[in-house]
Amino acid sequence: MSTRVVGQSVPKKDAATKVRGSRKFPQDFNMEGQLHAKVVWSEHPHARVTKIDVSQAEALPGVVKVITAEDVPVNEYGIIIPDQPVLVGEGDKVRWLGDRIAIVVAESEDTARKARRLVQVEYEPLPVVSDPREAMKPGAPLVHDERGDTNVIRHIKIRKGDWRKGLAEADVVVESYYITPYVEHVYMQPDAGIGYIDDHERVTVNSAAQWAGHDIPQIAHMLDLPQDQVRMIVPAIGGAFGGREDMHIQHVLALCAYLLRRPVKMVFDRSEVMTRTGKRHPYYVKYRTGATSDGKLTGVEIEIVAEVGGYASTSVPVIEAGTSFAAGPYVVPNAKVDAYAVYTNNAVTMAMRGFGTTQSAFIYEMQMSKLADALGMDPVELRMKNLFQDGSIGLTGHEMPEGVGIREALRQAALAGGWKEEDGRWIRPDLGPPSAPHKRPGIAVACGLKNVGYSFGSDDKSTVGVQLALDESGRIARVTVQTAACDVGMGVQTALAQMAAEALSVDYNQVRVSMADTASAPDSGSSSASRHVWISGNALVRACQDALRKRDEILMAETGETFVAAEHEFRGLSVRETKPYDPETGMCVPHFSYGYASQIALVEVDSETGETEVLKFWAAQDVGKAVNPEMVRGQAGGGVHMGLGYALTEEYIQQEGVAKTRHLSDYYIPTVMDMPREFTLVTVEVPDPTGPFGAKGVGEMTTLPTAPAIISAIHDAVGVWIDEFPATAERVWRAMQKK
Amino acid sequence: MWDEYLFPQSVDEALEMLEAHVGEARIIAGGTDLTLQSQRRQVPAKVVVDITRIPGLDHVEERDGLIYVGAQVTHAQVAASPLIGSLAGVLAEACGSVGGPQIRNVGTLVGNVVNALPAADGAMALFAMDAEAEVAEGTGRRWAPIASLYAGVGRCTVDSCEAMITQLRFPALRDGEAGAFERLAKRRTLILPILNTAVVLGIDGGKIEKARIAIGPVATTPFVATEAAAALVGRAPDGAAVAEAAKLASEAAEPRYSLLRGSTEYRKSMVEVLVRRALTRAVARACGEEGENGNS
Amino acid sequence: MATLNMIVNGKEASVEVGAGDLLAHVLRDKLGLIGTKISCGEGECGACTVLVDGLSVTSCIYPALKAQGREVTTIEGLPQEGQLHPIQQAFIDVTAPQCGYCIPGMILSAKALLDENPHPTREEINEGISGNLCRCTGYYQIVEAIELAAERMAEKGGAR
Ligand SMILES: Cc1cc2nc3c(=O)[nH]c(=O)nc-3n(C[C@@H](O)[C@@H](O)[C@H](O)COP(=O)(O)OP(=O)(O)OC[C@H]3O[C@@H](n4cnc5c(N)ncnc54)[C@H](O)[C@@H]3O)c2cc1C
Ligand code: FES
Ligand code: FES
Repeated sequence: MSTRVVGQSVPKKDAATKVRGSRKFPQDFNMEGQLHAKVVWSEHPHARVTKIDVSQAEALPGVVKVITAEDVPVNEYGIIIPDQPVLVGEGDKVRWLGDRIAIVVAESEDTARKARRLVQVEYEPLPVVSDPREAMKPGAPLVHDERGDTNVIRHIKIRKGDWRKGLAEADVVVESYYITPYVEHVYMQPDAGIGYIDDHERVTVNSAAQWAGHDIPQIAHMLDLPQDQVRMIVPAIGGAFGGREDMHIQHVLALCAYLLRRPVKMVFDRSEVMTRTGKRHPYYVKYRTGATSDGKLTGVEIEIVAEVGGYASTSVPVIEAGTSFAAGPYVVPNAKVDAYAVYTNNAVTMAMRGFGTTQSAFIYEMQMSKLADALGMDPVELRMKNLFQDGSIGLTGHEMPEGVGIREALRQAALAGGWKEEDGRWIRPDLGPPSAPHKRPGIAVACGLKNVGYSFGSDDKSTVGVQLALDESGRIARVTVQTAACDVGMGVQTALAQMAAEALSVDYNQVRVSMADTASAPDSGSSSASRHVWISGNALVRACQDALRKRDEILMAETGETFVAAEHEFRGLSVRETKPYDPETGMCVPHFSYGYASQIALVEVDSETGETEVLKFWAAQDVGKAVNPEMVRGQAGGGVHMGLGYALTEEYIQQEGVAKTRHLSDYYIPTVMDMPREFTLVTVEVPDPTGPFGAKGVGEMTTLPTAPAIISAIHDAVGVWIDEFPATAERVWRAMQKK
Repeated sequence: MWDEYLFPQSVDEALEMLEAHVGEARIIAGGTDLTLQSQRRQVPAKVVVDITRIPGLDHVEERDGLIYVGAQVTHAQVAASPLIGSLAGVLAEACGSVGGPQIRNVGTLVGNVVNALPAADGAMALFAMDAEAEVAEGTGRRWAPIASLYAGVGRCTVDSCEAMITQLRFPALRDGEAGAFERLAKRRTLILPILNTAVVLGIDGGKIEKARIAIGPVATTPFVATEAAAALVGRAPDGAAVAEAAKLASEAAEPRYSLLRGSTEYRKSMVEVLVRRALTRAVARACGEEGENGNS
Repeated sequence: MATLNMIVNGKEASVEVGAGDLLAHVLRDKLGLIGTKISCGEGECGACTVLVDGLSVTSCIYPALKAQGREVTTIEGLPQEGQLHPIQQAFIDVTAPQCGYCIPGMILSAKALLDENPHPTREEINEGISGNLCRCTGYYQIVEAIELAAERMAEKGGAR
């Protein structure tokens, strides 16, 4: 499809205000007469609260109120199930360090900070459940005794083909045990916001969020108010990466505003973000893969134990998504998969870039790398033999819809990375001499795929509005796109503006995008699941078509009107049906649409210290259609950054439920010096016929293959498999010692 | 956090200010350590006495074979100083590896010493250079060897509530002498090391005639591997001598297990690697095979 | 309380501050210069970077009174006569900002670098922003923006 604005790297809508520093993030707002809130956090990962004494805190001059459990109209919330108390009261349990006991509201931030130290809380400690493998055993202490007699909140079973036979008949079986780490999103803007009562008496929260429309029912439930009495405004957001899908602050602000009827501001410091907000799920995985000697996969047997932490958050859908990709983009005729999501008293785990599939990508790609090694086969060639194509049958018995771009992504990545193809055989590049005698070079490839939009029969929909202002001759003068899509930085507003400009044949500069305010903009769903370009793009393109039709009518009828508005609700299910897991066999139609990626890492490992440096990196991303190529490159750079940190440096360490990495001085995201010196993005455009202009999603796919590519490259360099990562220098060194 | 922020105009005035608020006033230089420590109430202070505007403490100069570095000199200034680069390269390397540019622009070398962490990069090089510090206190001024300043993790024998360090000095490297600095950390920059080492050696007539090896954090204070250094003296600067010294250094080092920094076993082994690498580079430099600022 | 007199973005500013107030808070809360961001509050990320007498510092751990009599430059001070600084313009042109939270600090680190070294190598640019963390971009476009700005500034004869 030839396009005019879509496909151009137009400047981002918000770039100018961001480089000026004038763009306001939640902490940058202040209101007349505002109060300041601070949370009194749990001091124990698992304990019963026996006494809360707020008298000293309330006596401090400047303290307006100390809010406790009895002040909360309906003291529960949760993004999927309401298993979380807003405030833990006397007699109730804390289940992790992120539980709140009280909220101190004061005239100044300093006073609030002082007063929170004066709240006296007594606890009766309970046994701490800190390993999900222990927690799932019968008789383990229960994290939620009120929710049945097990800590397991979801068990997914997949039984495909004859899995026993699949493995029994294999010529080679690769068997591994993996542990993926707890990691933190580290969005740079700490949670912050203001709650107040607006002119229409609505409880209003101005704060960062990924899905404003979904916070509203949770807040309304908590306050026992109708939903139209609650309003969310989302200004600029300093990153999210899944970490703002749950409410960390929104409900607290709403509660303060509701109770005090004054504006209340709260800003987290970094250690609160580190230790009191959700993380990515660790997976503990037993994985067996069988293949014939010529490299055809015959079967897999997989057990995944995913750690939920203290509350369910989105763990169930995360594990469902992750499990659906447990075998990767490969045709596996026989499979047995068991996946468990298990409560513990460690940090709550939640959505994070990849939504459970990032961990899956690590395990299935490590298996493929090991298999290639065991078979003495080139790793590109082995993958090519098994990769999906249009119509392939996936792990849950579903047919892969048209637009499978993974082969093309792998082919282009491999060629860019120096592989040669000769008659269907793939030949790896010669890496040349290392930069120093004690350095060992290594190169490896990995693939990944991820759904776009929500899955398993969820009615994923997005509503987008468009308004046209016409000039006297009936030409479109200005366009406003109306959406509550939150721009977490990825540029959804820019991409939508480009698509509107394209669909309406106007200039990009004529289009503006409204602010995400639930009071005025339609619900476009969450900024997650790499979904907006696909689903909101589809809604927008259709709204534009409607608007054009209306305009033509007006012109025909010569009414002289100069304003046209149209809105479209697009449902994912209208183009492809998805279905939930069958409880016994796991067969289902998991997702509507997919995006694909293949990446190659060239590393050097220090054979004496175990340190790994990633020298060069190639990322082939199949995005269907790059709406804005530079934004795609930005997503890829960021995805690789996060994947590199995941692979090598990032680890959120807890001991018995207590966080040991509490600051950015002990949780290490990559600096510019840690990034590969050469980074090449190869944009692959295998169109998705259901996507707007052929586009798929981008955001999450960029991070999936990174860690397995790097860690497989470490093996290529020094011959050790790092199955529990991050692959710190010490872990690599230890593995080399054992060899 | 603090009640009063003072700018003395002379060292004597600074000392008077400390005395006027006995026990409650403390010296601040760049504040890159103290500010956070006060905020977290680890190091209490009601009054801070900022020494960065006292005239005469910003020098980096050589006199009679000794280099003098004033108490206001920042890591960035040390790293960029041509004098230090040519006559004490190991110190430039060490200071250049502290934090990021913003921290190096503000944090001082002297503050790095008084903060007394066994992992401090700048301090490690000062140990290798056999530095001394000039202490100004009520009774006058005296020169104290660097090792005498350390009493344990975060504990400096110069109490910055009563006294201050005005400058450091150490012998400039002569012909045939060179040093090198190595560190190991969990990422490439903006991070405290899990291990670092600074070495200095002198070669004369094809033999090593002096050597100093400092290592951190493998004890409660920066650790000087005397035996390892002694084993080098009198030997030809070859791979075997270097390897042997590195091994001795590793045997003598006693890093504690740390959940965040790594196991004892790993870090002990790494002492050998880092010391060997640093010595190898120092030998190459001393033999003129490599410029003082070059890479291996 | 003490009176802090400084030159902020070329203009004299006089504010009452506490002895322990940090520059970032004074700039944001007392002078309304919200372009100075706070992310870690402990010198570890560079989001709060401002220039004091031309040197980059992390203002979240920089005692405000240290700025007494000094010249402070924040992101708001970069545009000249309404025109964006070439570094700011280059950041827009290469799509460097994503969420934008790290961007003011990055731009100020870049300015400190280019003022000192107008023709940096890529390695020197990396070094120059090595005290600034970004979680969104992977840094590539940020580095390219600084390169582009350096080129454009050289063409214009080193305009600052
Ligand atoms: C983000 C970050 C990263 C860092 N990374 C590193 C690193 O990689 N390696 C490393 O070694 N360090 C690192 N540091 C610490 C380093 O910045 C400090 O050790 C610095 O050198 C201290 O100097 P200062 O001038 O800031 O001291 P201050 O903070 O002002 O003072 C520190 C202590 O020394 C005392 N003091 C200071 N000057 C004198 C004096 N003249 N006489 C007597 N007492 C005095 C003070 O009372 C205080 O107790 C890092 C710090 C930060 C914030
Ligand atoms: S906020 Fe100042 S360095 Fe992070
Ligand atoms: S653009 Fe988001 S942190 Fe840098």
